Amino acid sequence: MINQNPLTLLTPVRVDRFEKLNEILEKFKVGLNHNLNEKFNQLGTLHYARWFILQESSFRDKTAFTVPVRLVFSSNFDGDEEEHAKGLVTVFPEYFDELYECCEGYPESEKRNTESRKNYLMKWRVPTTAFYPGAPGRSLKQIKQEDELKNFICNFIKQNNWNGAPAVEIQRNIRNEVDKHPEFEWSKKRVPTSKIKWPAMIITGIVLIILSPIIVVWLLILHFFHERRDKNSVVKRSDLNDNLVRRLEAYEDLFNQNQFTQVLVVKPGKIRLITLHAFMIFTRVLVRNLFVRGKLMGIPTIHFARWVLIDHNKHMMFFSNYDGSWQQYLGDFIDKSGWGLTAIFSNTMVFPKTRFLLTGGAYDEEHFLAWSRGTQVLTQVWYSAYHHLSIKNIINNTLIRNELRRNLSEKQAQIFLKRL
Amino acid sequence: MQQLELSQIQGFLVRDNKGWPFAKYFFLKITDANRARDFIKKTTQKITPVSSEVEEKFLNIGFTSLGLRALGLSEKNLQTFSREFREGMVTPHRQRLLGDQDSNDPQNWKWGGPLNEAIHLLIMIFEKDEETLNDRTQQIRTEWEQFGLNEILFLDAPSFPEGREHFGFRESISQPVIIGSGATGIKNDHIEPGEFIMGYKNEYGVYPDSPMLKEFQGNADLLLADAAGTENKDLGRNGTYFVLRQLKEDVDGFWNLLNEKSKNEDGSLNVEESTKIAAKMMGRWPGGAPLVKFPDKDPGGSSDDNDFNYIETDKLGMKCPFGSHIRRTNPRDNFEETGPSKSLKLTRKHRIMRRVRSYGENFTASATDHTPKEEVGILFGCFVADISRQFEFIQYTWANYPKFKQLYSDPDPFIGVRENPPDGIEQQFTIPQETANKYVTGLKNFVTVKGGAYFFFPSVNVVEYLSTIS
Repeated sequence: MINQNPLTLLTPVRVDRFEKLNEILEKFKVGLNHNLNEKFNQLGTLHYARWFILQESSFRDKTAFTVPVRLVFSSNFDGDEEEHAKGLVTVFPEYFDELYECCEGYPESEKRNTESRKNYLMKWRVPTTAFYPGAPGRSLKQIKQEDELKNFICNFIKQNNWNGAPAVEIQRNIRNEVDKHPEFEWSKKRVPTSKIKWPAMIITGIVLIILSPIIVVWLLILHFFHERRDKNSVVKRSDLNDNLVRRLEAYEDLFNQNQFTQVLVVKPGKIRLITLHAFMIFTRVLVRNLFVRGKLMGIPTIHFARWVLIDHNKHMMFFSNYDGSWQQYLGDFIDKSGWGLTAIFSNTMVFPKTRFLLTGGAYDEEHFLAWSRGTQVLTQVWYSAYHHLSIKNIINNTLIRNELRRNLSEKQAQIFLKRL
Repeated sequence: MQQLELSQIQGFLVRDNKGWPFAKYFFLKITDANRARDFIKKTTQKITPVSSEVEEKFLNIGFTSLGLRALGLSEKNLQTFSREFREGMVTPHRQRLLGDQDSNDPQNWKWGGPLNEAIHLLIMIFEKDEETLNDRTQQIRTEWEQFGLNEILFLDAPSFPEGREHFGFRESISQPVIIGSGATGIKNDHIEPGEFIMGYKNEYGVYPDSPMLKEFQGNADLLLADAAGTENKDLGRNGTYFVLRQLKEDVDGFWNLLNEKSKNEDGSLNVEESTKIAAKMMGRWPGGAPLVKFPDKDPGGSSDDNDFNYIETDKLGMKCPFGSHIRRTNPRDNFEETGPSKSLKLTRKHRIMRRVRSYGENFTASATDHTPKEEVGILFGCFVADISRQFEFIQYTWANYPKFKQLYSDPDPFIGVRENPPDGIEQQFTIPQETANKYVTGLKNFVTVKGGAYFFFPSVNVVEYLSTIS
């Protein structure tokens, strides 16, 4: 199993190059529909990437202090971070040069080489606070290979008449057919899939029980001294700035996948910060042990999600890559994980009214949807290595690969065939 | 239970008017706001509310956002309407969501598109006989002409012969029941009024986004206060949004494809198999009987049976395929992989009050008789309080999105197929079997959009209020 990792870079932009940078990003966005995509594909380890400019006006609420204009790069990739950064600047140095020349302190042209470019990028790396991969352990290569295998099997099924044949026999036939093709040699090796780690979850449960008196007191303090005094978001979708929403929508639903970038101001005070960090730790525990099978708190459409606290914990960014439309994605959040979402995001400024951290908030549908749109920022360049695959497809494809090699009972073989 | 003000709500929202076979939809344009408001004032008396069916009340009326502006509603007040309504059906993003591309492109529409004349008002008249309909038409037409409104277009909107749309399937069987409206239906279909009427709580237990009077205009005494408790006067209370789309059905193409896919080895027509594939695609037999209850054979006759779920009887989709039209657009207790009771709850947040009428030749197709002489289709209509979460969600996420549930490239076989799918993508319909699935490949787009618009159907009092703004 390979480790999928996130990388976030926050690079200060040269004031005199701000306009130029916007133009380059626009050029990249257009280019991604043409040959630039190919360049990214060449890396072979990059699942998703995005760039956008973060500045004071990106935040809906007043920032904790004046923030500089920064270029944000975010990627999801396989393997080692240093290798990834090196890969980026090796495959297309000219693009990175063009972009980062607009940023402060980029090496002079005579001093540029793979190492100096990589070092420059890594200098601006910010740590990830919590990270969720939808299909843990699957490299880009594996995802693409399993997609090809699934297509091959489906075509084989369609080309033959299986009338009356038992499922196990069909499975055997498929296996024999696959084995005739050396390009699927890799599929003979079963891959491990993530399983829920119950011992860790039980320990987590015990820890929570032990901590419960503290948690209860904490929630009471939070409720009476913070939530009741909070300024809440009562904006409805119809109150939002049309142009802002139209700008966001202009790049949505071009494929069956979309992205979401949100920037937020953390509420002041230690209580809020500790609560936020506690929930980030809880999220990390759950992501590692419980949400390992393609669902984040029951939501089956998220490829990657990431929370990044920046500016000495004063501001927060949230990134995700998801299947389907914005309305579906946000609706899923409300319906399936409203409490989790509320617990994290209610620690940021002007959220819909909450009660005891877990209720209200996201469940206040209209205000929550308006809050989500209102705090979203435009992702200027977005790359996905597999627009055509949903996270469910990816998870299912691995099951197909593994079950193809197993000796299945008739019943199991029937289930296997239904995956196709 | 929330008490509904039935004398204020326009009748078509609650009554399906199936028993009124004759109808006309008129699209009007305002040329003179002052006189148009006088017309609106006169018309207020003629609106049929849910609670009454008296002789002199015979029409329902809706406004586009262009219409509200033409009538004189200020920009500030107009701005409080939902963005979907304000922008209308035709925007680049909405076209992507709704699949209004290629032949469905609004550039080709007969009405509601960018090349068509602007629509301001929609007036609908339903009658039991043709003569009365003509009389009514005559009467009201004289009035709007007198008040300077231009008739852009009218559509004859009869009910369906035998209650079947032109592909051959019984229409509008499954409908939500608005709690408190007096309508009846199975328990799962009982939905909170705020899903369909503004000013009431919805399935989330909150009030839907309703337009408010932000700037003083007209006789505000006619307006009720915001139910959510703000100081504002509510323009939306007891009102709703109406989606109207004229959809041409290529019934000949549809049955030719299925007949071809199902033919016997000697090339002869296999009517039974062809009809069965069509039924699998719909999720019901042409007469309406649900596949979940009758998986193998059409029990015959007409059926309005709507009392079924999926999890217990058909978890694997072997009776009613996951990709079928009715299972996608109303997944009942099988919403994604969620458990049954939560599924039912989630499904209730994405329901629409369907109001579908026929257009074109009086024709019902089947595997053996599928060539009408003229164009045929449906006037798809639905009432919702949230256009985005209800109508647009169903059209995109459940119908057009080919990755519904575990599927890979299966759009809704009736309303979701793209004319020009992305390179390398073959659109298909998967029929789960005990062993190897069957696939209907090479799906084509047999439904073409010919026109469409979003309307606001205000309460009776708000219609009157609109006649007082200046």
